Amino acid sequence: MITMKHINKGYMLGEEKLPILKDVEFHVDEGEFVAILGPSGSGKTTLMNIIGCMDVMDSGEYYLDGMAIHETPEDELTQVRNEKIGFIFQNYQLIPTYNVMQNIIMPLLMRGESKKQAEEECMDTIKLLGLDHRIAHKPSELSGGQKQRVSIARALVGKPSILLADEPTGALDQSSGKDVLKLFSELNEMGNTIVMITHDLNVAKSARRIVKIVDGRLYE
Amino acid sequence: MKLSEIARLVYLNLIQNKFKVILTSIGIVVGSATIVLVIGIGTGSRAEVAEQFQNLNAGAIDVSYEGSSSSLSSSTTASVSIGGTTFSLDIGGGGFSMDFGGGTGGGSDSRTNSEAVTLTTDDMEDMEVFVPGISDATISYSTTASVEGGDLSASSYYTVAGVLDNYAEISNLTMAIGSFLTEENNENKEKVCVLGYTAAKEIFGSAADAYDETVYIDDRPYIVSGVLSEMGTVASGISPDTAIFIPYETGIKYITGSSISPTITVIAADVNNVDTIVENIETVLADSYPNSTFTISDAGSKMEAASTSNTTLTLLLYSMSAIVFVVGGIGIMNVLFVSVKERTNEIGILKALGCSRRDILLEFLLEASCISLIGAILGVLLALALTPVVQMFSVRVDLSASAVGLALLFGVATGSIFGFYPAYQASRLVPVVALNQE
Repeated sequence: MITMKHINKGYMLGEEKLPILKDVEFHVDEGEFVAILGPSGSGKTTLMNIIGCMDVMDSGEYYLDGMAIHETPEDELTQVRNEKIGFIFQNYQLIPTYNVMQNIIMPLLMRGESKKQAEEECMDTIKLLGLDHRIAHKPSELSGGQKQRVSIARALVGKPSILLADEPTGALDQSSGKDVLKLFSELNEMGNTIVMITHDLNVAKSARRIVKIVDGRLYE
Repeated sequence: MKLSEIARLVYLNLIQNKFKVILTSIGIVVGSATIVLVIGIGTGSRAEVAEQFQNLNAGAIDVSYEGSSSSLSSSTTASVSIGGTTFSLDIGGGGFSMDFGGGTGGGSDSRTNSEAVTLTTDDMEDMEVFVPGISDATISYSTTASVEGGDLSASSYYTVAGVLDNYAEISNLTMAIGSFLTEENNENKEKVCVLGYTAAKEIFGSAADAYDETVYIDDRPYIVSGVLSEMGTVASGISPDTAIFIPYETGIKYITGSSISPTITVIAADVNNVDTIVENIETVLADSYPNSTFTISDAGSKMEAASTSNTTLTLLLYSMSAIVFVVGGIGIMNVLFVSVKERTNEIGILKALGCSRRDILLEFLLEASCISLIGAILGVLLALALTPVVQMFSVRVDLSASAVGLALLFGVATGSIFGFYPAYQASRLVPVVALNQE
């Protein structure tokens, strides 16, 4: 599903290039639940951005579902993000002016579906995440746990190849965090491939496989 | 994304930022209101000029001598109060003054002399005989005289014009009732008159009531043989509405004596030959009055000058509209830049979810166009509300559907053009950078 070979990425700091990812080799099979564990500044978010096609690598090869992402232009990457990747962010990244339903159906609308069609299609996901009584609420009217559920629902509705979660419990209390991790396990059991990034070993333990990242290098 | 869904998202954004939308669109509101009023005023002034020239024949050439100090009526303004209403009568030099006010008096060949001359019917006949290409000619003069009779409780001063029988046809005057003066009236120096529409209403109450009645001019009775139709404001000379027309010779015999300053009006058979005819008239007059010069003006030049003046004014107003639109457009662009900055994180989310550059460009562009359309509609409503206020200042405003359409079109176009760059900038944002923007 995901194959990354010799990935290098750095950012310019003045006139010098600061290397962030160094010769990263990474592979994820379909149906896996992988946690990438690393301290702050280790390069895990940069790696997630590259996996999620939101940033480009300096060198290396990246294949997603057999597609050569490193050779794909930005316009096509947009479609890849919509169809193959479901993002779950630490700070939820919900559009504040839209209600729960409007936030959740966005990926489907971007595929060209009508509002009615998209709403019908996402009802199962909304029920699965227990949000059916909250669909008309704005994000500001929800708790942290509920916001993260909306974020997960939005990631799921498009039936992506992979769920990418960046510190999904980082902004939640312990109880809500546990609920989200339990939900991830259930989603993985249902066949969803999940790659989760965290700095917390306890959170990483909920995954079936843990990969460590230290100073831009990946260790199994 | 479907265009309808993008439109729905735009609607959501607009409805949740109503105050911002209204503030953003103020420039377009002013621009659209200006363009509707500009076109309305432009159309109105064109119509007004057309109405003022309706009694002027395009081939008419007026010849007058303005230098005489002994003419009966020097230039004065008399105020007459009738029934509690004050009427100002502008009397211009005893004849039909062809001097244009308000910058519309171009195209005249104007000269002065020091020797007093009075044009006569003989001069008119000379022109008819010696100047080729003239289809008709007439001579006329005007003065003021006291008038009594009808409903008037006291004598009032009116403009009294001494004219020939062909004056009505040459000046495009039409009768509301009765008939115009005849050649016999003039030859026999009969005391008959034709009243202007307003004069008839003021003296007798209505045109019908005035017909065949007697009016006293300088204490002499005149039979009203007819009343003119309402002509409105005219571009030159006296207004037919407020004048009283009497036979040319009758006026000389009973009112003015020989001290008059008449105007000879000749009609060119072909308007393209006006310049040649003017030259020939000068030659004929130079033969009769070697040391005198005359004011010769042709109606076509006056019309052209008025039209040019009107076009210049309209262009000036259009320029103002354009400036207002540009300022309004810059306002929209400014607000959209701020909006893009404010919503960078939202754009990042949309990009992460797979929203294409095209969709983001369309969303922001549509938002700009909608803000402009709202502004343009408000501008049109403002123009409709302001129209009666403008009309209170005696400015004629002819509103039209095409002006409204143009204002809406310009409004939307301005918003779309000035909104494009911010929308383009939004669409080009790098997803990961936009997403991390606080």
